[in-house]
This record gives sequence, C-alpha cells and structure tokens, in this order.
Amino acid sequence: MVDLVLLAFVVAIAAMGLKRPFLWVLLYIYVDIVVPQKIGWGLITALPLSLMVFVLAFGGWLVLDGKQGSRFTLRQGLIVALLAWCGMTTLGAQFQDSAWDKWDWVWKSLVFAAFLPLTLRTKLRLEAAVLVIVLSIGAIVISGGIKTVFGGGGYGTLTLLVDENAGIYEGSIISTAAIAVIPLVLWLARYGTIFSPQWKVTAFAAGLVFACLLIPVGTSARTGLICIGVLGVLLMRTIRHRMLYAGLAGLALVVAVPFLPQSYLERMGTISGYQGDQSASTRLAVWRWTYDYSLDHPLGGGFDAYRANSFTYQVRRVTGEGANVSVEFGEVTEEARAYHSSYFELLGEQGWPGLGLWLLLQGMGVWQMERLRWRYARRDAGGTKGWQWGLANALQQAQLVYLVGALFVGIAYQPFIFLLVGLQIALTTLVAREPEAESTAPRPWLRQASV
Amino acid sequence: MIDYLSIALTHGLILLAAWRLLSREDLDRDADSQAKPKPWLRAPSPPADPSDG
Repeated sequence: MVDLVLLAFVVAIAAMGLKRPFLWVLLYIYVDIVVPQKIGWGLITALPLSLMVFVLAFGGWLVLDGKQGSRFTLRQGLIVALLAWCGMTTLGAQFQDSAWDKWDWVWKSLVFAAFLPLTLRTKLRLEAAVLVIVLSIGAIVISGGIKTVFGGGGYGTLTLLVDENAGIYEGSIISTAAIAVIPLVLWLARYGTIFSPQWKVTAFAAGLVFACLLIPVGTSARTGLICIGVLGVLLMRTIRHRMLYAGLAGLALVVAVPFLPQSYLERMGTISGYQGDQSASTRLAVWRWTYDYSLDHPLGGGFDAYRANSFTYQVRRVTGEGANVSVEFGEVTEEARAYHSSYFELLGEQGWPGLGLWLLLQGMGVWQMERLRWRYARRDAGGTKGWQWGLANALQQAQLVYLVGALFVGIAYQPFIFLLVGLQIALTTLVAREPEAESTAPRPWLRQASV
Repeated sequence: MIDYLSIALTHGLILLAAWRLLSREDLDRDADSQAKPKPWLRAPSPPADPSDG
C-alpha cells in the first residue's frame, strides 16, 4: 500500500515537471533525503529511482530549462576538485570493495551539490528547494517525534520510516540533520511565499521544530544534545529579546527534564565523564590512530581506510554482589572502528589535501553567509530584515550546527550537508546579481565613522 | 500507523507546494530582475523615498 502511495507521489511530481522541469530537481532532493525506495518493499524497491530522477533533473535542466543567471563559482569548483580527489583515492584505496560501495553514493552527493546551484536561478526556486528539504526531513522527523512522545525511543531502537540504521536514518545523523534544519523551518515560517505566513504555517512550523528537538531524545544521540546547545547559542546572536529568550529556554529546560526518559538522562550524563565510557575512549583512540595513519599516508587511504585499525585494551569486569564481588581483568581487541568524526574521516580517507578542500569549502560558506548578513542587515519600515539576510543567517546556523555535530559523527559526505552547500552557493550567486543592494548596504565596520 | 500519518502530511504538503509552483511565473524568471524593485521590502510604497537619508 505505502509502495503505491509513494510511487504515485513520485509519478505525480514527475508529471507536473513536464510543465515546470525544475520540479524534477525538487523531486531529486526529496529522493536524496527520504530514500522512498527503502521505505516500500515492492515495486518501488526494484527501481533505480535515484538514478532515474537524477537523469530527469539533469536532462530537464540541460534541454528544457533556461540558463539565465546560472554561474559556475569557485565553491562549485572546489566540490568538483574534491570529487576528482575522492575518485583518485578510491582507485588506490586500501580496501577496494568497501571503498567502491561508498564511492557509489558519495559521487552522487557531490555531483548534485555542484549541479544544484545552476538550477536555483530565482528566489522562488531557492525557497522551493528549502521547503522540500524541510518537508523531506519532516517526513522522518514527525514520525520519530510522535514515537518518542509515546515512548518508542532509546539508543539504536527508535525506528524511523526505514527499518535500518543507515544513512540519514542513523540515530546520530538524523539528530544532527533535524537540529540543523530548524533555522530553515523558522526562515520559511517567516519569509515563505509558497505557504505565506499565517497561523496554520506558524502552527506547523512550531510542531515541526518541536519534533526536531525530540529526535535527539528519541535516538538518545549525545551529538544531538550538543547540536541543540550550539543552536541555542547561535540563536542568541540574532534574536531580538535575548534575555526573554534565554529565560524561556531555561524554563523550557527545567520543565522538560522530568519528562525525559531515565535512559536518556543516564546516557547524556556520560558526556562529561568520558573516561568511564568505552564509546568515548575508543573514539579518542581511533582519532589518534587516524592522525598517525595520515602521517604515513598523507594523501589518504581511500574510503573506509579505518578498516585497517585495531585496538587492544584492558577491560575491568566486576561480577557478583556484596562479599562475593570479583574483579577480572581481560584484554579486548576491537578492529575496524569507524572514525566517529567527519574531520578524521576526511583525514584518514582523503588525506590532508582532501581535508583541506573540504575545510575550505565549508569555511568559505560560513564566511560568505556572514558577508551576506552584513550586506542585508538593514531593516525595512516594518522593522524586518530582508529575506536574504534571513536565509544567509539560517544557512549559516544550519551549517555551523552541522559542523559541530560532524566533530562526533562521520557525516562528511552526507547529501544533506552538500544540499546546504548548494543552497549557499545559489544564494550567493543570486544576490550577486543585485547591484542595487551593494551601494545601499550598511557596512558595520564603518558604522562608527558615519554616525 | 504513525509513519503513514507522517508520510501523508509531508507528502501532501510537497504535492500542494508543487501544484502552487506550477502557476507561479517567478519560478523561472525573477519578475522584477529588470526594474530592481525590492519585493522583500513588502511595503506597497512607491519606489522613490527621498526621506531616507
């Protein structure tokens, strides 16, 4: 049943794309995030849906769509360079089989990120892309949020739409993405034109943000809690009534704690005491190993190079109770521990050049969004800042949340972050065509002199 | 059941959005790219505002 519904949905959007080929690009974004071929179990799983929709989106743009305003920018060049570099390291990868498995999805993620800005030529297209990203994440997050409320959570046990713990459906990854998407939800609720601001939109946005906040609880992903903290701090920067906001946030936290499941609180308690936690100490060991590995292999070991590692350490086991307590020491060897950090993932797999390219790509994004925030900081008569300011701000916040989450999760090539990068590039290119704004832009660094 | 609800809600909204996009002229071309007005200012005021300075 759900198969047919999803298939009908895909066919309906594809059919509408005959009139507006850009809808195929939106359809690809949806397929990229939700992966509907994994939700169903019949016909839809048998189709190479992702490839088919990509061909539609790219072909539609190439043949039917206008190219006015499309630019190929430096950051797109960086994505292509990273793609080429990943291709090279895959050819020489230490673990060929798994490297090619990973290459299979990474190249799509990178190619689409370089391609997406070419299609986002108008403000409405940019908004539509943001909307589809938000609703696609929403499809996963709303069901996860409701299940969490009804007590279906737990580390690795919250079932999202798909019965496997992979890709965006993995607990820590969806937690990071769910929190990162919140600024985009807020932007749409305020500046949207497809669904213009009104009480229904506000109510939906509020519910969606709440569901997003519940995902780290439901998955018990510690990374998610850190992301919430980062977002809370970032929001302080832009919100008008800071003290009121801080007070309300504190109050919400106090009210929320009694409702959080005990298992969640226990797991979050281990964030500070990392030495008592095997997961955290293995992580540190993997990172040390990766650094040493990068000194031997400065050009990277190809995808999944972490499979070369192995760690042996002493474990202390306490058995029995009361007077019969016995303590045993034993050695445990663990092999092929994953990176659990995007930065070390890149360092191990793509070496220093790959890490450098990725950092430059992300760093330029933060900087460009900051520039746009300055440029469009002026308020209009109603006291509102421009939509450009809002979107640059939201994309920067989303990216920073993701970059902090990426410290603890291997999500360097996730399609989600590359969609954000694509949106940033598109926004920068779009507003670069507005010469008027440049001359009237306030320059905060000149403010004191001019007043 | 919860999954179906979530899928129905979000997919319905995406469909509705796509439907609305079909009739939006500014999807393919920013309507005011020539005249340089600022639609995000929203106010229906005339373009010239000499008091601003």
